[in-house]
Amino acid sequence: MRYIPSTEEQKKEMLKEIGVSSFEELIEAIPAGFRFKGRLNVPEAISEAELEEKIYQIAKKNSDFFLMKPLIGAGAYRHHVPEAGKFLLQREEFWTCYTPYQPELSQGTLQSIFEFQTYIARLTKMDVVIPSIYDGASATAEAALMSFRLTHRNKIIISALLHPHYKETVKTYIAPHEPEIVELPHKDGLVDIDGLKKLVDDDVASVIVQNPNFFGGIEKLAEICELVHSKNALLINAIAESMSLGVLKAPGEVGADIVAGEAQSFGMDLNYGGPYNAYLATRKQFLRQLPGRIIGETRDLDGKRVFVMTMRAREQDIRREKATSNICTNHFLNATAANIYLSLMGTEGLYKVSLLNTKAAHYLENLLLKSGKFEKVFDYPFYNEFLLKSKDSVPTLNKKLLENNFIPPLEVSKFYKEERFKDVLLFAVTEVLCREDLNRVVEILAE
Amino acid sequence: MKLIFEKSVKARDGYSLPKDLFDEVNTKDCIPEYAVSDSKKVLSEVSEVDVIRHFTKLSKFNYGVDDGLYPLGSCTMKYNPKVTEKLASLDNFIYAHPLAPEETVQGCLELMYDLNKLLCEVTGVDQYTMAPAAGAHGELTGVLIMRQHFVDHDDKRHKLLVPDSAHGTNPASATMGGFKMIELKSNERGTVDIRRLEELMDEDTAGLMLNDPNTVGLYDEGMQDIESIVHGKGGLLYYDGANLNASFEIVRPGDAGFDIVHLNLHKTFSTPHGGGGPGSGIIGVKEFLIPYLPTPIVAFDGEKYYFSDVGEKSIGRVRAFWGNFLVLIKSYAWILSMGPDGLRNVSETSVINANYVLAKLKKYYRPAYDRYCGHECVLTGRDYKKYGIKTLDIAKRLMDYGFHPPTIYFPHFEPYAEETIMVEPPESESKEVIDEFIDAMIKISNEAKTNPDLLTGAPHNTRIRRVDDVLAVKRPILNYGDELKLKDELKYKDEDINF
Repeated sequence: MRYIPSTEEQKKEMLKEIGVSSFEELIEAIPAGFRFKGRLNVPEAISEAELEEKIYQIAKKNSDFFLMKPLIGAGAYRHHVPEAGKFLLQREEFWTCYTPYQPELSQGTLQSIFEFQTYIARLTKMDVVIPSIYDGASATAEAALMSFRLTHRNKIIISALLHPHYKETVKTYIAPHEPEIVELPHKDGLVDIDGLKKLVDDDVASVIVQNPNFFGGIEKLAEICELVHSKNALLINAIAESMSLGVLKAPGEVGADIVAGEAQSFGMDLNYGGPYNAYLATRKQFLRQLPGRIIGETRDLDGKRVFVMTMRAREQDIRREKATSNICTNHFLNATAANIYLSLMGTEGLYKVSLLNTKAAHYLENLLLKSGKFEKVFDYPFYNEFLLKSKDSVPTLNKKLLENNFIPPLEVSKFYKEERFKDVLLFAVTEVLCREDLNRVVEILAE
Repeated sequence: MKLIFEKSVKARDGYSLPKDLFDEVNTKDCIPEYAVSDSKKVLSEVSEVDVIRHFTKLSKFNYGVDDGLYPLGSCTMKYNPKVTEKLASLDNFIYAHPLAPEETVQGCLELMYDLNKLLCEVTGVDQYTMAPAAGAHGELTGVLIMRQHFVDHDDKRHKLLVPDSAHGTNPASATMGGFKMIELKSNERGTVDIRRLEELMDEDTAGLMLNDPNTVGLYDEGMQDIESIVHGKGGLLYYDGANLNASFEIVRPGDAGFDIVHLNLHKTFSTPHGGGGPGSGIIGVKEFLIPYLPTPIVAFDGEKYYFSDVGEKSIGRVRAFWGNFLVLIKSYAWILSMGPDGLRNVSETSVINANYVLAKLKKYYRPAYDRYCGHECVLTGRDYKKYGIKTLDIAKRLMDYGFHPPTIYFPHFEPYAEETIMVEPPESESKEVIDEFIDAMIKISNEAKTNPDLLTGAPHNTRIRRVDDVLAVKRPILNYGDELKLKDELKYKDEDINF
C-alpha cells in the first residue's frame, strides 16, 4: 500500500522485537464479544487513476459551476480568489502541520495568524481579535455565550434579520443556559429601532444585529449601540459579508462590543459551504472571556521577535470544564488564506473591490426595476444584496437563469414565511459579475 | 521575520481588478452617510511578488508531515495523500454555492450520502451528521444530542462522566452542553475503574464519554462491564474518535455499545490538519438517536438526492450550511483508496509501530503503564527529574535531531501519568524512520545524564531558539498595533526582526 511503507517482513521483525508471535497478542485486551468478525463491507481498494475517474464522475453530476455565476449570496459569496493565494496554500509546510503547540517549529503559521489578527483589528477597529472560529454562525453563537459570561444575564435579543442559519446555531449553542430569547422585529428592511427601545431592558445580556443584514440592508449601528448600552447590555455585530468592511464604518467606530465575522469573502471559494473561517473581535477588557486561540508576540532566547499561542489559561486543555469554550481545532489554514488575500488586495485594492461590489449591486437593482418585471420590497440602503419581488413566476425565472449559467437568487420565502415575502428574491452581486453579465441577467429575465 | 506591514511601500499594489468599476454609480447612492467610514482602513501595500516571497519564507519556518516524523500522540499525524487535495479542488466542488438548487448539486449530495454509508459500516452506527467542523464541535453536538434525548424522555439527568484521561475538550464540551462534569479516575491499569463507575453511574447521570483505546493508548478490557453499567442505568455511551486509528476492522465502536460515535476525519481519515484546521468532527448515532441529529441530513429517493429535515426533535443547527465539505471529499477518496484490507492494515501497522516504540524505549523512559498499547504509547520523563531535566527539555532536544516532538504533559494524572511523552507513530511511518526516532530518544536519554545543559538550552539547530511564553502573557502584544504602541520599550534591533 503506497501510504503504508513498512513491508510485511518488517512488521514481522517488529513483532519479534516486541516479543510477541502475532499481532493478535497485542490486542488481547479487547473483549472477544466486541471484536469485529469478518471483513468490512466497503468497496475494494481502487488505484489512483480509478479514484480520479470515480470522483470526476461524481463532480460531473454537479452543474458546471466554474461557468455558473451566482446571483445568490446569503452568507456565501463568490469573489475572485487570486491564484497566488491558492498557490501558497499548497505549500505542505502550511497544510500538513498541526496546531502550533511547538513555536520553534511553527513560526510560519504563528506569524501568519498574528498578521491576520492585525488586519482584522484594523478592519473592525477593535482591540483584540480571535483569528479562527469555524464559521460565522458558530462565531456568533460563541459571542452570545461570551455575553452571558460577561453580564451574568441570560436574556438575548436576536435581530430577525440575522442569517437564519446563524440564528438557529445561536439557539442551539445557548439552549443549555435555558435563556430567554426575544426576536427583534424588522421594519422596511432594517432593524426596528423603536421596537428595540421597547424590548431592551436590564435583563438583556446582548443584542445580536447582523450588518449588512440578511437582506443586505445597512443598519444604523451607532443608534442601535446607544440604545443597547443604555441598559448595560452588549451589542454583538454579526457580519456575514466581510467584504463590506472595506467601505463601511467599522464596528469599533460605532460602539460594537463583540464582532463575529465570517471571513469567507477574503480568499476562500464557496466550497459548497465549508470550510470557511470566522473571527471574533472585541475590546481589551473582554479579552479573558474570549473563546479560542490567540497569537501573541514575544522573544526567543536570542532576543528575536517571535510568536506563540498565548492567553492560554482560558482554553479547554488547561482550564478543562471551566474553559471559556471547548474549541480546539479551528480553521487556521483558512485564516492564512484570508491573510494572503488581504495582503494582496492591500489598502487600495480592498477599498476598491468593496466599493465595486456595492456599485455593481446597485447597477443591477436599478436595471431590474427598470425592466418592469420586479418591484421594490423595501426602500432601504443596502450593500451588495437586495430584495426584489418578481412579477413573473419564480420557478420559470430560475429555470431561465440556470439555462443561461447563472445560479438563481435566494427565494426569501424559504426562510421567511410571511405572505409578503412570496416571490421575493434576495439578489447578491460581487465583482465576479461584470457589466455584460448583469446586462445579460436583465435581458434573460425581461424576455 | 519582518511582518508584512514592515514590507509595505506606499503606492505599491498586489491586486488585479476589472477596469470597469461602475464609476457612473454614485457612491453616495450606495452607502448612507451614517455608514461611511471615517477613514480608509489601512492594510498593507505590497506586490504579488512580495506576497509570494513573504509567505514562502514564512512556510520555511514551519515543520509539516512531509518534512518528517510528527509523532504527536492522540493527533494521528499521518501522511496526507496528494491526489485527494486535487480532487477536493475540482471546479464543480469549489464553486458550488451551498444554497444552489438541489438539482445542480447532485454530485455533492451523492458524495455525502455515500460517505455516510461507508462510515456507518466502518464504525457500526446508523447515521452520521456531516455538520461538525472539528473534534470539539462534534463533542458539543454529541453532548447536545444526549441532552435532547433525555429532555425528550422527560428525564432530568444533569451529570456526565468523563475519565481523568480524557482530552480537555471533553470536560469543556460537557459543560457547554449543560452538564455537570464528573471526573472518573482511572484504575492502576490505566483504564476505567469499574467499581468507581458503578458508584458514580446513577439515574442523574446522562452517561460516559470515552476514548477506546483511551488516551493512555490502552484498549479497555472492561468494555463489556462499562457497557452494561452505563446502559443498565439508562445512560448513553459517547465514543471520542480521536483514537479510532487503532480499531479499523478490529472493533467497531457501535458493536462495543457506543450510542454516539465521533470521528475526526482530519486524524483517522488522512485529511491534513492545516496548522490547526480545518478538520471535520462528524457524529454518528444509533437509530434511536437519529431524531436528535442536527438538521438536515442527505437522503435519496431512488432517483435524486435531497436534504431531509430531521424533524422537530433535532438539536437544531450547529453551524451554517452543511459541513466542511472539502474535508469530506478527501476522506471519502481515502477510504476508496484503502478498501477493507487497507483499513485493516492501517490499524495493524499503527498498533505494531506504537508497541515497537514502547518495547524499544521502555528501558529509557519508564512507561506510564507497562502493557501492550494500541496505536500510541505513553512514556514518561520522570526518571530525568533528578538531573534537572523536564520532559519539555527532552521534547525541545528532539527538534535538534530533526523530529517534531511527541505530545507532552498529556495525559496527566498522578502517580502513573506525569511528565508524559505520548508517542503516536502512524501507519505511514516506516520502520527506518521509527528506528531513527528511537535512536535519537536513546541519545537524548544519555545526554540528559551526561550533558543536561544540552537539553535545557535546546533547541539549538532550529531557525529560532526556545520561545518565552511567560513574557507573551505578561506583556500581551496581540497585533502589530500593540507592538507599535510599545515601540520605545521594545527597542528591537534590526537582527531581532530581520532574519
